[in-house]
Order: sequence, then C-alpha cells, then structure tokens
Amino acid sequence: MKPFEYTTPNTIEQAVAALGPGTRAFAGGTDLLTLMKADIAAPERLVNVKTLLPRGIEARPDGLEIGALTTLAEIEQHPVIAQCYGALAQAAALAASPQIRNLATVGGNLLQRPRCWYYRNARINCWLKDGADCPARDGENRNHALYGGGPCYAVHPSDLASALVAFDAALWLHGRGGERTLELADFFALPVAERRTETVLAADQLLLRLRLPPHPPETRSCYLKAMDRKAWAFALAGVACVLRLSGDKIAHARIVLSGVAPIPWRAAAAERELQGAVAGPDRFAAAAEAAVQEAAPLRHNGYKVPLTKALVRQALTALTNPACNSK
Amino acid sequence: MTTRLEGRAKVTGAARYAADARFPGLLYARILRSPHAHARIRRIETSRAERLGGVHAVLSSANSPRIGWYEESALFDRTLRFIGDEVAAVAAESEELAEDAVRLIEVQYEPLAFDMRGAPAEPKTEQRGDLARGLREADVVLEAAYRTQTALHNALEPHGCTALWHGDHLVVHESTQGIFAVRDEVAEKLGLSPQKVRVITEHMGGGFGAKQIAWKHTVIAALLAQRTGRPVQLMLERSAENLAVGNRNATEQALRLGAKRDGTLTAIDVRIRFEQGAYSAGGEASDVIGTYLTLYRCANVRAEQRPLRSNAGPAVAFRAPGYAEGNFALESAIDELAERLKIDAVELRLRNYATRDQREDKPFTAPQSLRRCITRVAEACEWTHQRSGLGFAAHDWAAGGGWPPAEAEVEFRDGAARVVVGVQDIGTGSRTALAQIVAAELGIALERVAIELGDTQPEIYGPTSAGSATLATLGPVLQDAARRAKNAGRGRAVRADNPKDKSIRTCGAQAVELAVDRDTGEVSVKRVVAAHDCGRIVNPLLQSSQVIGGITQALGYALSEHRVVDPRLGEVLNANLEEYKVPTLADIPEIVNLSESMPDEEANATGAKGCGEPPIIPTAAALANAIYSATGVRIRELPITRDKLIR
Repeated sequence: MKPFEYTTPNTIEQAVAALGPGTRAFAGGTDLLTLMKADIAAPERLVNVKTLLPRGIEARPDGLEIGALTTLAEIEQHPVIAQCYGALAQAAALAASPQIRNLATVGGNLLQRPRCWYYRNARINCWLKDGADCPARDGENRNHALYGGGPCYAVHPSDLASALVAFDAALWLHGRGGERTLELADFFALPVAERRTETVLAADQLLLRLRLPPHPPETRSCYLKAMDRKAWAFALAGVACVLRLSGDKIAHARIVLSGVAPIPWRAAAAERELQGAVAGPDRFAAAAEAAVQEAAPLRHNGYKVPLTKALVRQALTALTNPACNSK
Repeated sequence: MTTRLEGRAKVTGAARYAADARFPGLLYARILRSPHAHARIRRIETSRAERLGGVHAVLSSANSPRIGWYEESALFDRTLRFIGDEVAAVAAESEELAEDAVRLIEVQYEPLAFDMRGAPAEPKTEQRGDLARGLREADVVLEAAYRTQTALHNALEPHGCTALWHGDHLVVHESTQGIFAVRDEVAEKLGLSPQKVRVITEHMGGGFGAKQIAWKHTVIAALLAQRTGRPVQLMLERSAENLAVGNRNATEQALRLGAKRDGTLTAIDVRIRFEQGAYSAGGEASDVIGTYLTLYRCANVRAEQRPLRSNAGPAVAFRAPGYAEGNFALESAIDELAERLKIDAVELRLRNYATRDQREDKPFTAPQSLRRCITRVAEACEWTHQRSGLGFAAHDWAAGGGWPPAEAEVEFRDGAARVVVGVQDIGTGSRTALAQIVAAELGIALERVAIELGDTQPEIYGPTSAGSATLATLGPVLQDAARRAKNAGRGRAVRADNPKDKSIRTCGAQAVELAVDRDTGEVSVKRVVAAHDCGRIVNPLLQSSQVIGGITQALGYALSEHRVVDPRLGEVLNANLEEYKVPTLADIPEIVNLSESMPDEEANATGAKGCGEPPIIPTAAALANAIYSATGVRIRELPITRDKLIR
C-alpha cells in the first residue's frame, strides 16, 4: 500500500470540497482497502466519511430510506425490509460473509469495483485500469459478462444492486452544487473510454442515501444466486425478481440480473413477456428465454446462459407458488 | 473421550506459532518476486530501497553468496522461471516498511519465452506380466481419459519463520512439518554443521505436505538476520503462498482396463502426465501410478508417469500425493467398467481387491481390512447402484505404517513421565496420541505425562510428518522407551525395522450421497460415509478429526478448488482465498466416520497405523460416481463445477 493522507472533515460540505481526483471517500473500507493493498487503487488522500453520512433504515410514507452507511447486516436483519422488500434482504444475506456484512456499507456495496481477476492483478494493465485491451475477452472468462461486454467484460459484483434496481430505488448524491437525486438504474452505466467506472458518480460526489418507493402489500420478491460454493462467493449469476399479480395476471414485473454484465442488468425483454400475461410455467419459460435473448457468451462463460434462464424460471415459479408466500 | 493436550492453549490464543515469536530488535522481511514467467535479470538496483528509513538490509543476487537451490538453480538466481520466483529480500522495522522497500527495488528484466503447458521429461515406468496378453484375454476393455487440476494447499498459517543468531548458532522458529529436514537443509545451504542450527515448531496451522521441506524463505531470513545482527521474521503473504511454495500437480491419465465377463481384471494400462512446474522441489514424490499397481489384483500392468516442466510454481507433496489424483481416475474407471460388465460396482471391487503387495511381491499385514471397510460402508449407506445420487470408491495408500529411523526418551519417576521426541505436531494431534501411548504403557493418567516435541535441540531424531507415519513410527519407540523407563527410571529406544516379509498399507472406502440440480448445475452433497483401516485407533476423536478434515479438503478438490492460470501471461489468476474456493462450513455435509479399531499386530507393537492422508483419497471418485448415478453424466475432469453439469 502506498502512503496516503487521511482526513476527517466535520461536515459533508467539507468532505465534498476535499474530494476530487486522487482523493477517495472512505467508509467501511471492505473494497477500497483491498484495492489499495493490491496496488490497484493508490489514492493520495482518504476522506473519512464514517461520521458524516446517514446510517440507518427509516420507513416513511413515501417509502423506505436507507442511509449510505447502513451495513449489509443491518439491511439483512431489518424487519420492514424482510417483510416488504424480501429480495433485498435475501441479496444482503447471500452477499460476502457475516464478518464482511458487519462492516460493509450499502453505499460502498453499490460503488465497489469488479472482482475480475485481471482487473484485481496489479501486474496486468487491463482496459479498466486505463490499459489498451481487455485480457478477459479472449482469456479465462468463465466469470465474465454475457451482456454489455466490451471494451470491459468484468461483471458487477453487487447482489444488492440488482435487488435495489428491481424495487425502482432512487438515490441522493451530494456534490459541490448540493444534493441531487436520480434513479439507481441511471446511476449505473457501462464503462466508456473517458469514464472507466461502473457508475456516473463524479470524483467530487458522495452517495448519501437510497429510497425505495412503497410497494403494495401483495408485491412479492426474491433474489436467487448461483455461486461456486454454498456461501461467501460472488455471483456467477443472480436474479432479483419483483412481481405483483392481479388475479392470475401479472400486473408488475421487474427482473434484474447480477453477475452477468458490467452493471446490474435489467432483463427488459423478460419483463415484457410477463407484463399483463397470465402467470404460469409456459409464460415463465418464455420470460426466461427472453432474458437471455441478447446474451453474447464468451469462450468459457456459456454455462451462464442456461444458468440465468434457470434462475429466472425458478424465481418466477417460487414467487407464484401458492405454498410459498414469499414477499 | 481424550481431547487434545494443546486444545486449551489453541482456543485461548496462548499457543505460539512461528509468527508469534517476539524478540528485542525484531525485523520483518519481505520478498520481491518475479513478475515474469521466464526472464533473466539484467540489473538490480537496490540503493533507493536501502536508503528508506527503517530498512536494515536488502539481499539479492547482487550482494549475496551463490547458494544452490532446486537442482541447478540458486537461492537468488539470475534466471527466473515462474511468476513468484524469488528475486530479492528486504529486512525492515515493520512489515509495511519492508513492503515499501520491496517496491523501491528496481530490476531490469529480459523477458524470455515461456511455456505453461509443459515439456515432457523422462517417464517413470513400472510393469509386470504381459499387457498385450492381458488385453487379449479381456472380454471388455474400457478406455478412458481423466484429468485432475492443480490444487493449492492453502494451510491457514502460511509458510514462514523467525530466525536469530546466537554467535555462530542459528535458531529458527519455523512453521514446518519436518524440523530435522529443515535443520539439515538449512545447515547445508549455509555451510554449517547441523548441530549449529536449532529448529523449533511449537505449534503449526497446517502443512498438508507443503511444509515438509526447507524452502528459500528460511535461508533468506537467516541471511538477513546474519547481515543485520537482529532477529528476522519472514512470513509469506497469501499470494506468495499460492505461487511459490508448492501445489498438487495437475494430471492427465489415459487408461485402459481389461476384464473378463466375471469381473476378473486382466489388464491395467495407464499413461500419466503430471505438471511439475518450473522446478523439482524435493520431498515426497507424487506417485500417481502407485494405486494402479497395488489396489487391485491384476497380473498384467503397465503404468507410466511423465512429468511436464513448465513456467509455473513447483509442485510438492499434498496430502496423499499421487494417490488422490490416481484414485479419482482409477475408481471412476472401475465404476465405468462395472457398468459395462453389468456387475455391481461394489461387488466388482470385492472380486478384485488385492491382498498382497504386487509391487513388492509380499502379502499385506492386514490383507482383509479393505474388504471390511468396503462392506461396512456399503451396509451403512444401504448400497445399491440403482439408488440415484449414491457413489462409492475404495482406496489404498502405500504408507501409514511408519518406518525407521526415529528415537525417543522417557523418564519415569514418582508416577509421572517426561517424554522427549523429535517430531512436530503438524496439527493432527501427534502430541496427544503419543502421550497416550506412554500413559497406557506406564499405567498412569494422561495428565501425568509431560511431552516435549517440536525442537531439534535435544538431538533426539524424529521423522517428518509425512506419509501418515508419525504414530506408527514413534508409537512403538515410545512404548519400548516407556517400558525401559518403568524398570530403570529412564529409557531410550530407537525404531525397529518393519517386518521384512510383509507389506504394511492403509486403505478404506467411502460413499457419497448427493443431489444435482441439472437446471443450475448445482451439486448438493448430503452425506459422506467413510471407513478407513488405520490399525488400532489410539484416539477416536483425533482419528475422526482426520476423517472429517480429509473429506472436507477432498470435497473442495472435487467441486470447487482449481488454480487458474492464463497461459498467455503466465499468471496465476486466483492466488488468493477469494477466487481459489476452499469449502465453507455451508459446503460440508454430514460426515459419518465408521472406522473401526483394527489392531495390525504384524505391523508394529502398538498395532496402530496412520490416518492423516487416507480420508482425502477416495472422495472425489465416490463423488463423480454419485454424480453419474444421479444424472447419467460421467465427469472425467476435476473440479466438477456447475458448468460441467448444467443442461
């Protein structure tokens, strides 16, 4: 790790003023410190925001507000989230390990960098680190992207991000011009040459809080995750599914995929298959098929196509199974 | 139930490991490693690192004596043969400073062509009978090829040591499974008499074979300590651990099995290639052909193994080296053959298991113990090959019987014993089991036995913890020494030879029950049932620990562990515990240990044999056989990740 300066400002405004190129905000540190220790990130200055940003979960008439410093463990264990936003609680419970969930914040979770093993190796100058090319494209790419790949084929590592997008979350950012809000779905953006990150967050902005809109009580949701082992692994593929039925018809459907694209990937074609349709196995199979229609597998990640299909089908089946009243 | 003598010290944190050694003036060292899979060093410039405050020494080929290492190579060679090969080392006042200093070393490399696939070296071949005739006599010939991956040991405690000099005497607190092996090797490299080197291993956090030889870090720490006049601690980081200090060799095994209609094996033919990496590291050899030559009775056998030299880190012994790899292929193939013959897979094993050592041409001391293990496991899992998701495998292991040399000393007065042996407790509980043998012989309570081990100073030689041999090597010596002490107050004994006309082995069987979701490719292991012949069981709790630990490690080998290399870059992509996936608690199924105490009176006076390695051997094959049973898909390559099973 390279030496760096560490400051603890007194206000958010001071923190924002201190931010900029070469400076990073520091909270749970579960991603940033590993990047620094591995020589992937080498900030000159860390701005401690642990005492500045909001932490906690508040149920309000206009939805649920989650402070950026709220830990994954707090999200996993919150009764309102478990009851009304089940997919989010499940995504939190399936992320990382209990030790990490006790430290990691939801803000950091959304901003974490990819786990791509080329990106995480300091000796390899991949495109995401301002190199010329992506070595994963023609390399060892079993963990890599099916969608949105090129120039970068790394996948977004967050489980929570997909669940939050599936609940139509919005977020608040604080920059030099004060606060602004935007849809979480618009916050994530495929990396491009002039912005080699997975979000539109500027170097001098802080993520303050998230808001989940209220969902009618009949809303059901779940998060399914496939890993290389039973726990403590990033998703090979994950599916966040939010569903609302009206009689036997699907009134609302959101399907967002993890582990298959550089950002949480909304399966819009699958949602279209479901919207207004009668819930049932054939329709679910069609939705699963639609979810992978645009998949562009690489040499070693072709298995993610049937895997994603299976997870979408299993999620839809679980949510409409009368024996299961998962919300 | 007798628990570990050191259990309390371990769970309270009182137990001291290599990294816990603290001395006044202690310095910390770090190693600069090659970023190239193959390169020549043109120039090393260390002055910037040396000028950094708190840095006490920088060592490289530019300023240290040439000390031979790995066949023709050297401690700091100018030619580097894998990413992770040692280039230079730094001693500084903190680990962080040492890391900073390593960054300041400037090296000009001349990259050379490299080969991650490997060039074949000379084969080792063993044969008996007439293979061509065996194949002609067969009614069915099964031909199949299997592959196993490179696996990494990932002991929780990395390699490392703390070295300090007292005048011209060197003391090393080392995490090693061979204190005498390290002592002798380090003394030789430094040009010292072995008596001037003392190696201490009070406790260690796992070795699994990777710590059975002396590695470069110990000599580097000793040289840095010598140069600075201060004690030096050098512990490896996880990445170095996974690049440079050993792995289980990947294999390709092409085999033919010939059998008559009644199941009689008439021919075994196997050609094996295994990845040795850039160097031959020494220690226990990977005898992949071993089990092909011994597990089953067969008159016509040809077995060949050929190492491949590549620009990757060197392979070294890993818990049952060779046998874990060979057994996966052979025991998968036996199931495939059983299906072709329409003979029950367990029945086929019972018809063919060997009762003599065909390699040495002598009978086993316990010729029927394998039958006992097979039938016991088959009964417990209500074996029938029609049951979906149930798989079976048997195994043998050439070691476990112990051997000379070894010695021990016992003092006995006022109803209490003091025991001195020269082994280390690798973590299996050797300390406890050996003390139990003395207590039993003297007829005193275990609490009345004080055992000292893990120190070369008393000059009482003990063997390396390898070959599942510690208990069977030292148990009889201690029994003998205790008997002498009972009469004379003090007794010293040495290990007697094993019987000349018999062969000692260990063996066993396991069954795996699992379910496969073909839609997601997910394997869920429900239960593993195991029975292993380890002679007399001295401590059932410790024996169970070995069975549970071995099967857990084997499940990782079978399902999720795989060193991934990019052959274009020569890079190991997952030299960490994030992407190299060892099993978590959630991955470990119910493990039923049915091992019985089966005293092997002909093996040695205690009747005990080892059980450290056997439990890791048959799990992968039993699991692959269970997957076939569940899905009809035969997987011939480890690890069995979901991409191989998904529909």
